[in-house]
Order: sequence, then C-alpha cells, then structure tokens
Amino acid sequence: MSVGSQTTSPAVSPVAAVEDLRVSFETQRGTVQALRSVSLEIAPGEIVALVGESGSGKSVLGMSLLGLVGSLRGAQVAGRVQVAGVDMLTNADSTRRLLRRELLGAVFQDPLTSLDPTMKIGRQLTERGVDKDRAIGNLTEAGVPDPRRRFFEFPHQLSGGLRQRASIAMALGTAPRTDGLTAVADARGFPKLIVADEPTTALDVSVQAQIVLLFDRLRREHGCSVLFVTHDLGVAASIADRIAVMYAGRVCELGSAADVLERPRHPYTRALLDARVSVEISRSAPIRGIEGSPPDPTSPPPGCAYAPRCPRAQPDCTTALPELTPAQADPTHRVACIDPLDADHHQETWSESPGRVLAAKSAPAGEPALELVDVTKTFAVGSGRLRRGGERVHAVSNVSLTVPAGGAVALVGESGCGKTTTLRLACGLMPADSGSVRWSVDAGRPQLIFQDAGSSLTPWLTIGAMLSEQLARQGVERHERRAQALELLAQVGLDERAAGAKPRELSGGQRQRAAIARALASKPHLLICDEPVSALDASLAIRVLDLLAELRAKLGVALLIVTHDLGVARHSADQVAVMYRGRIVERGSTDEIFDTPAHPYTQGLLAAIPTTEPGRLSPTLAGEPPSPIGEDHGCAFAPRCPYAQSVCAQLPALGELAIDHDVACHFAKQVAAGDAAPGTLESDDEAAKL
Amino acid sequence: MNRSSVPSTVERAVVSPPRVRLWKGLLALRPARYHSLARAERISLWSAIVLLLFVLIAPGLAPHGTTQLVAAPLSPPSLSHLFGTDDQGRELLARILYGMRSSVLSAVVVIGSGVLIGGAIGLVAGIAGGIVDSLLMRLTDLFLALPGPLLVLAIVAALGPSLQHTLIGVCIVWWPWYARVVRGQARATASRPHVEAARLAGLGRMRVALRHVLPSSFGPVIVTASLDVGNVILLLASLSFLGLGSPDPAAELGSMTAHGLTYLFTNWNVAVLPAAAVFILVFVANFAGDAIRDLIEA
Amino acid sequence: MTRLVTGRLVAMVGVLLALTFVVYLVDAVIPANPVAASLGAGASHAQIIAREHQLGYDKPFYAQYWLFLGRLIHGNLGASLRTHNTVTSDLSNFAPATIELALLSGVLIAVLSLILGVWSASGIRGANLIRVLMTSLASAPTFFLGIVLILIFYSSLHLLPASGRTAGGQATGFVMIEDFFSGNLSGWFGALRHAIMPAVVIAVGPAVAIGRVLRGSLLEVMREDHVRTARSKGLSEFAVMLHHGLRNAATPVLAMAGLQMGLVLTGVIVVETVFAWPGLGLYASSALQYSDFPAIVGVTLVLGIAYVVINAAVDILQLVADPRLRDQ
Repeated sequence: MSVGSQTTSPAVSPVAAVEDLRVSFETQRGTVQALRSVSLEIAPGEIVALVGESGSGKSVLGMSLLGLVGSLRGAQVAGRVQVAGVDMLTNADSTRRLLRRELLGAVFQDPLTSLDPTMKIGRQLTERGVDKDRAIGNLTEAGVPDPRRRFFEFPHQLSGGLRQRASIAMALGTAPRTDGLTAVADARGFPKLIVADEPTTALDVSVQAQIVLLFDRLRREHGCSVLFVTHDLGVAASIADRIAVMYAGRVCELGSAADVLERPRHPYTRALLDARVSVEISRSAPIRGIEGSPPDPTSPPPGCAYAPRCPRAQPDCTTALPELTPAQADPTHRVACIDPLDADHHQETWSESPGRVLAAKSAPAGEPALELVDVTKTFAVGSGRLRRGGERVHAVSNVSLTVPAGGAVALVGESGCGKTTTLRLACGLMPADSGSVRWSVDAGRPQLIFQDAGSSLTPWLTIGAMLSEQLARQGVERHERRAQALELLAQVGLDERAAGAKPRELSGGQRQRAAIARALASKPHLLICDEPVSALDASLAIRVLDLLAELRAKLGVALLIVTHDLGVARHSADQVAVMYRGRIVERGSTDEIFDTPAHPYTQGLLAAIPTTEPGRLSPTLAGEPPSPIGEDHGCAFAPRCPYAQSVCAQLPALGELAIDHDVACHFAKQVAAGDAAPGTLESDDEAAKL
Repeated sequence: MNRSSVPSTVERAVVSPPRVRLWKGLLALRPARYHSLARAERISLWSAIVLLLFVLIAPGLAPHGTTQLVAAPLSPPSLSHLFGTDDQGRELLARILYGMRSSVLSAVVVIGSGVLIGGAIGLVAGIAGGIVDSLLMRLTDLFLALPGPLLVLAIVAALGPSLQHTLIGVCIVWWPWYARVVRGQARATASRPHVEAARLAGLGRMRVALRHVLPSSFGPVIVTASLDVGNVILLLASLSFLGLGSPDPAAELGSMTAHGLTYLFTNWNVAVLPAAAVFILVFVANFAGDAIRDLIEA
Repeated sequence: MTRLVTGRLVAMVGVLLALTFVVYLVDAVIPANPVAASLGAGASHAQIIAREHQLGYDKPFYAQYWLFLGRLIHGNLGASLRTHNTVTSDLSNFAPATIELALLSGVLIAVLSLILGVWSASGIRGANLIRVLMTSLASAPTFFLGIVLILIFYSSLHLLPASGRTAGGQATGFVMIEDFFSGNLSGWFGALRHAIMPAVVIAVGPAVAIGRVLRGSLLEVMREDHVRTARSKGLSEFAVMLHHGLRNAATPVLAMAGLQMGLVLTGVIVVETVFAWPGLGLYASSALQYSDFPAIVGVTLVLGIAYVVINAAVDILQLVADPRLRDQ
C-alpha cells in the first residue's frame, strides 16, 4: 500500500495560513526567539510535515495554529495566524476556543502525560461536546479495539499505542457546529486540521508505523488536514505531501516531499539527510555529521543562521537573512539560501566532512570481553504486600550472548523485550536467577554509558572531581591525577575547561562525552551503551557514534550497544542480536541480519522503519509488543506473526541457519527465502485488533 | 551551549583531593541565584537576618531585666517605658525582647534536633533499604499518624510544665517529617543513574552514600527547615499560652498574652503586644522561608 | 479498591492502639498516685497496697495496658479532680459545643482554602497581593487573631459578642443545629454570632496552609501536558481548572489537610480559651490549670481519636481522587 501522494490544488483556499509569524519568549537567559518570521499555508486535506532538530521552533508553530501560544509563559507574538479564515492571534479567547472545539484537533508526543490520569477516557472524549455514541465511534475510527470497554477505563490501564489512539480519537471528536462558525464547520463534525506534535516519537517502531498509517487514512476518509511535527525525516517522508524544514526559528526549505527529500536545495536539508543513521544505507557507506551546533536562540546571527556551519557560506550569507524564494522554475519548491544546491547536485560541496564509515573492521580473536550463558531473570509483579498471586515478569529467558574482545555487538528490540535487564545483568548491576555472566578475567568491570548521559554524572560534583575520584580508585598518585584526567578528556574531545564544570554547565553532547571519559577512567575492556544516542539530535548522534567507533579502534575496547534503533545497530556493530519478550530470536553478523533477515519479527521491524523514500510504508507488524508477565508457551511472536501455524505452540530453538546466523523460528528458511506469508495483514484496523 | 560560560577553575577542581567533605556539598548550594530573586524576596531575606541579629542582641541592651519592677502596675505606654508595664509593674518591652529571644532559640533547638534525628534515621533507611528501611519508615509513619501537638500537651502536662519539658515533648514529635524528606530524597537519588554509575565505578558503599547520595537532600532539608521555623514558633507559643511553658517570672510571649487577657479591655497593650511580637517573628520567618525556597529550588 | 480501603482501616486501628499506648504511658508517669488520691488522705499503707493489687497496679506494664484498654472500652476514664464528675460525662457534656465549632470551621476551611488557592494560582489581578495576605494571616498566632478580632468587632464596633455561647440545644447540646431544625431562626442567628469569630480564628491558619499547597499543586498541574490537551479541545480556562486542574491537584492538598488537623486540635483548645467557648478545649485548658490529669487524658484521647479517624478518611479520599493509586 502506498501512502501520501495525494495531490492538492493550490486554488482552494487554505485551511490554515501563517504569515510572518514571530514568537519570542522572555526567559531568565534573555529573549528566546523561537519563530523568526515564518509563513506557511496548509490546504484542505493536505499533510504538511514540519521537520527540524530540537529548538528549531517547530512545536511553537503548532501551538500557534491552535491559538495557544499566547498562553505560554513569557510569550510575545506578532504576525498573522489564520485557521479557516479566523485569526488565531487577535480574536477573543472565546472565539479561538470555539474554533478549537469545532475545527481543530491536537495530538501530542507522550500519550501517557497528555491524557488526564484522573479522568476516564470516555469523559475526556465527551467533555468536548460529542455524545457517547459518537465518542465510541471515534475510538473505533482510531483503531481502539473494544471501544465500549475502553470508554470506561482510565489512561493508565491502556498500553502506549492504545493511549495514542485514544488521543487521536479525542482529536477527531470535534463538537457539533454551532451558529458562530456555521460557514466553516464540517457538517459531520470532523476537524478541519489536526496538529500532531511528534505523535509517534514515544512509541515503538511497529506501533509508530500503525499510527502514521492511521493519520493517512483519516485524511483520506475525512479530509482532515494535518500539520505533522517531527524530528524524523523518515516519518515525514512516509506521510507528508509537503515538507517544511525548520532551522533556528525559520523555514529554510519548503516543497513537496519528493522535492525536499530527493532534490534538496538547502545545504542544511542535505546535511540532515546525510546525517541519518538509517537502516537502508549499507554500513560501509560513509555518514556525515554536521559540524558545530545551532545558534544561541537568544542572539541568532544577523544573516543566515546556518552560515556558521555551512561549508558553502559566503560573506553575503552573514549579512542578510535569506528569504524563502522559489528554486528555479518550480514555484512550489522554495528555499531560503542565496546559493542553493543544484537540483542534481553531483559535484557540489555541502559538507566539509568527507564522511566516515562508522563500522570498524572485525575484531581480533581472543578471550571474549563478555560472555552470557543461558541467563534467566524474573521479577515479582508489583512490590511488597501488593504482590499479585505469584505471577512473575519473565524479563530475560535463557539468553546467551558473547561479545568478542574488541568487538561490537548490538542488542536490539522494542520496549519491554528485556534488553535493559540483559544490560543490567551484563554489567553486574543485578544478579541473574540462573546462568552465568563472565567478563574477561584480568580486565576491570565493564562500564556503562547511560541513555541520558547527563544523569549519570553526579550533579553537584565537577567533571574533574569525578574523574580524579575514579583515578584515585585506580591507585593513581595524587600529583598524576590532573594530567591523566585531562588526557581522558582529550580522548573524548573535551578540553580542560570541561574539568572545572558541573554537568549542568555543559551541553548535551558535552555531557555525553564527559560520561564516556568517566567510564574510560577505569580502563575497561568493554563499554556497555544503553541507547547511546536516542536522546540526541541527528547531528549530535553521529558524532557520539563516531567517537565510540574511534575509541574502539584506538583503545581496542569492545562495545555492547543496547538500542531500539536498528539504524544505530547497523552502523555501529559487527554483530546484531534481536530480542523479543525476553529471548534472543535472531542473531548473526550485521550484514546477514540486515540483508537476509530470517525471523518474521526482524523482517517486520525492518519494514516498519520509515525511510526517506516518500510515501513508502506498509503495516507489516500488527499489534504491540507483548507484556512480559507470565511464562511464555511456545513462540511469543506467534500472535503477531503472519507465518504462524499450530507448530508455533512449541518454543522454537535458536538454530543455525547459515554461518554466523542463528534464528529461533520454525519457518526460518521460508522467511529468509522471502516466501509469502499465508495471511499478510492488509490494514491497520486488523493490526490494531490484535 | 557556548563554552565561554564554563568557569575556568580547572586547577581547583581537578586537583581537589577526593576526601569526603560534606561542607562542600553545602557550598554547592551557595546562592549563585541570589540575583534572580525578586526584590521583595531579597528584602524579606535581609529583614530576617536583621531581625535575627536584633533578637539575639537586644535583650542585652535592654535597660531593665525581666523581673525588675520599674513603675506602677499596668502603666500605659510612655516615653520612659515604651510598651508600658504589666500587672506587677515589670517593663513589657524588656520582657517581650527576652521572650522573642527564647522563642527563636527554642525553634532552633527543635528544628536542629528534627534535622539531626530525622536526617540520621532517613539516611539510614534510604541507603540501607530492605527490612531496615521498612521498619524505620513504619515507625516514622506511626509518629506522623499520631496527633503530635496534642500528645505534646499530654506529655508536658504529665512531666510538669516547664520550657525544657515542652522542648523535649516537641522534639519527640517533630523529627518524623525530616526523616521522610531525607529518606525520600535518598531513595530517589539512590535509583538515579549517577549513583549506579558511581557504584559501577567500584566506589565504596560509604563513599557513594555520603558523596553521591546525601548531598541531594541538603536542599530539600534546608527548604523544609526554613518553612518550618514559623510553625514551631507558633506551636511553642500556643503551648505557653495554655500554661505549659515555664511558670510566671519567666518571660514567655504566650503566657504573657494569657495573663494579659484579664486586662484586655482596660490595658490592651499587656495582651496584644506580646502576641504581636510572636506574629512579627513568624511573619518574617515565613517570608524568609519562601525566599530561601525560591533560592534553592529555582 | 475494597482491599485497599480495608488496608487503610486496619492501619487506622493500629494507629489507634498506638495512640492509646502513648496515652497510657502518659497516664502511668503522672506523678500523683491515683490510688492514694482515690482513697483519700487517711488511707493506710496496707490499704493502698491492697487497693493497688485490686486494680492491677502491681502487674507488669503490658498487663496494666490491657487493663487500661479494658477500662477505655467501658468508658471508664475516672473522675475529674476539678469537677468531681466522671470524665466521660464531662466529655459528653462539652463535646457538642466543640463539634459545632469544628463543623463550622471545617466549612470555612474548605471554602477559604479553595478561594485562596485558586485565586492566587490563577495569575489574575491581585494574585500577588493575595499571596502576601495569605502569608500574613498564616503567621498570626491564633490567640493574636482572636484578641484582635475581639478588640475590633466587640470592643470598638459592638457587632459581635466577645465570649461564650447562647443557651439552648437542651436535647442534644447542639444549639445551632437544634435551633435551625426547630425553626427558631433568631436563636440560630444568635448562636451563629457567637460562633463566627472563634470559627474564623480556627479556620484561618489551616485554610491558608492548605490554600498555599493548593496553589503550588495547581500551578504544577496547569503546566502538565494533559492540561495543554484539555485547552486544545477548546475547553474554557474555568472548565480546565475545574475538571482537570483541581482533581489532579488534590492528592498533596488532601495530605496537607490531614496534617493540619493536628494543629487545628491545639488551635481549638487555645481559641476556646480566648473566647470562653464552653467546649472540650476550654475543659482541657482548665484541666491544665488545675493539673486535672484524668480530664487531660480523656480530652487527649477523644481529640486524638478524632484526628486518627479524620486522617484515615483523608487517606481513603486520596484513593478516590487518584485512580492510579487504586491499581498499584
């Protein structure tokens, strides 16, 4: 099924129009200029993706369309925002409220926090003015199975994916029209425009694909326009008609999805595309990070904000703000650059970096840095006296995993698959119920790089103090500690200024580096990385992965990378292990796994990852990752598996399919060969019902 | 973030010996954010400091003692005796100044004991976890579930009214809140990644507890304590009003008010002025507490 | 849910036992020898020993505690040294006045804290002024507030009576309630005039403390994501505050309300003394003057039990307010 190629006629008057919008916030650090003259139109039934890194102002634009930007603390707004011809800045509160009630829907990032925890789902739907039947209809529409039961449940009783579907149902249920807005209101009571702010970011990959498809269906069936705010170019590509790329509070490129993704004209767009650690690119291909960092939002440069990072920058770039102008003949593709790239940019520079192949050569043989043999870990459900009748969380079941000395292994899986427990077992933070965990004998314990590196640094100590504490523990003499600390910092690309700083005085990327320096202080043979880049923007992520690859090459330290991001796994590891409900279901060399995945789950995961090819997304994985409570009988993936048959009631063993490629599936050979599954799921409705 | 904002104090930081130094944690709270305070908050902080100094010094400067008979009983306020005299002819001003000092010092004793007892219990519970934690916390919860001020009343009545007995009684019921704060903070911090990182780095248990866990509760404890000063002064004054403080010649604001009630409609100053003194102390303490909270939590 | 409520009730019984134990300890350390006192001055040493044996005073302390509990359950608290009535009958005579005053204060606390909290959190005009006013009121000791009110409304303006309580309520002791339901509205109004000043003085401190917690909690809740969602649905700011703000802000507010009860109880004793309100507080305060230990023990028990029961109710209310607590 192909998505997102609906054409829109520019003659129709737009649902929403933003003109010369400027928003700033008074903060203690100064005036943050969030939006600096942004103009954008959204046509009826059109999906516009707003793409940018954190701090680019994309969420503020979404809030402006909802008419809520004025309620944010310290906001100052100028310009024009019209929705259905009604001004969302100057009109009275009550008018804007009416418009939100009757014409607008909103879906936000985290479905757990964006629903009221104390109010039943049904009440949250109906308080907007829709009746109960309509609310239940909307839940069905949004793919919530068993809506009559869900109607009476609280948000915390729903899974993440269902919560987001409930949020969407809420956005769908606009109040029946009243007299004030008769002229523009949709007779059927569907919203004209849905503002979706990172609606899939907090979700697992397989659920993300389902939600993206849901938005596309709502647009097709009800003609809702969508402003889809996202940091992920892949997600944007899979759904958007048009894409607007934002940088430092301005739109730097705007055009159809195909134009922007395949013929980018702005150097920043091009650099963003190159910085994607995506699964579809071979691990031997170079990836280019973006040097530098975005400008300080309290004092953006007078000229093009990207100029300081742009290899094509000319003197003129720093004097005047480039306006969004049509790129050559095509008036719909506009770019804010005085020297845009050619449409078929072959010989041009857009990046100074020659690009780096992140993957290092395969490791030398030797004693493994880490060996997990048949490790199992279960937990009691709940705690204390509230323990529920003997049921246990089977977090990790019979997992065996080896990280060779100097090697790099990625452990991938969705939320709740047991990868984090495996990580904690591997670094000795908790004991296993059974099985053994072995580190190479003479080396120190493995060190852990946390997902949020900043939080692994003690907030009230300076980086230098933490490093010398660590060095003292290694028996380093006092007078040598300073020199060694600076050496460690240099290894991760920090200078001595960082030594005197407390964690909060450093940027996110610097904190990540400082955390790595600290981990290196005890000269470990193995670094275990927990989602090392998931909290970082694309341009920063590349640089951290780059650093890890460099450390591996220089110091010979082995890496175990635990991640939900298959792209990260592909580009930073020699071997990949895929986990599902506490077990490893597929394991092999990175090339084998990505070129010939042989477990239906691995295949489904790979297919669910959005690529930058416009409009390509198919719902291959139905349902959500299972709860790990209770013992598993048979293959845990069977309920979601298109290949499943009665034999799947027996637990498949992890068997060798090819050299260096093990799979736990009764149908591994057929799956690897690409034989069609007996009953492939076609729509996201069926997917949701599972 | 631009690098220029990183302070260039590399030497101090890198070479500082990793000895366990609690005061360093306290210094970490040093109000670098003073300048972000609103003007009203700065004023309240400074008035609290000035009042504190005044209350500590003033009794020494007063021309009369608390038991000295200086004029006719129930003299109205005059230039020689600004607040007038009480029913025995003792100077009200001097007695009020002494009473304020004893109020402040008593509050310091109660809160100090609360921080020490509660802090120790909370830290042990928070770090030990398991059965020690649940035993200590059950005990704390039990104390919190009992009506503290009421029990103080019964305890002091049984021991015999005096300031010492009142202080002992209040100290017995006042620590659980601090134990809760410290324990909660220690538990929350203990599960934070930076503590796991310190443990993974192979640092000793004691060192992790004192250097990587404990300092996180300094802020909340200081905030709780500074917001608590007013409550303690109020409770002590109420107990004294009910006759549970030291007996008559002692100058206590609560009991002075209680005695003055008899003359309320003829000599209002005898009852109102000591009560107003309590009000002023608590008023300044509460505003300063708010400012300190903003200073630490901002 | 039923199991959680049962759990809370069991915990309450435990706390009540602890309360009686503390009171028993207090009772046990009282310097005066109750046996000697009850036998009169002329009793011989042997008589005292015999009586002590009869009453169980020579038994180990846990057995004595058991006996103490038994006496409590039978309502036997001894006789007041001051009034010479049994403490139980004194308590039941004085309780209605206190209950009436407490109910009126409770209503005032609820209304005032809601107004103060919502107003100061709403950022509308005067919010800062309200904050200053709240802190000032919370800083005033109850006896100071009481005196000032008496001087203003009685002494200067002659609007309200300074002390005491109207006669009436012959059947139950509840003057206001009886007058109201018997249609004696002028009597009811007179009773209200007597009660209003003490009730306000009791209510101000807790209302401000609760209002401040409500303000902080509301400000926090109103910044949460789900409030943004509610606004995006086009709800009015009032509806957002009412349906999403207050409910979510309730948990810490209820906790504070429970905590404040302890201070309210001592406040009742002080205020009844200032206004000569003939309730348990005045009874306790007089008992303190006369070292009337049986009376002190009796009042402590009654007010303590009220405190524990109210706090258990608050605990259960928290379960009602936050569905997440129910499913843990």
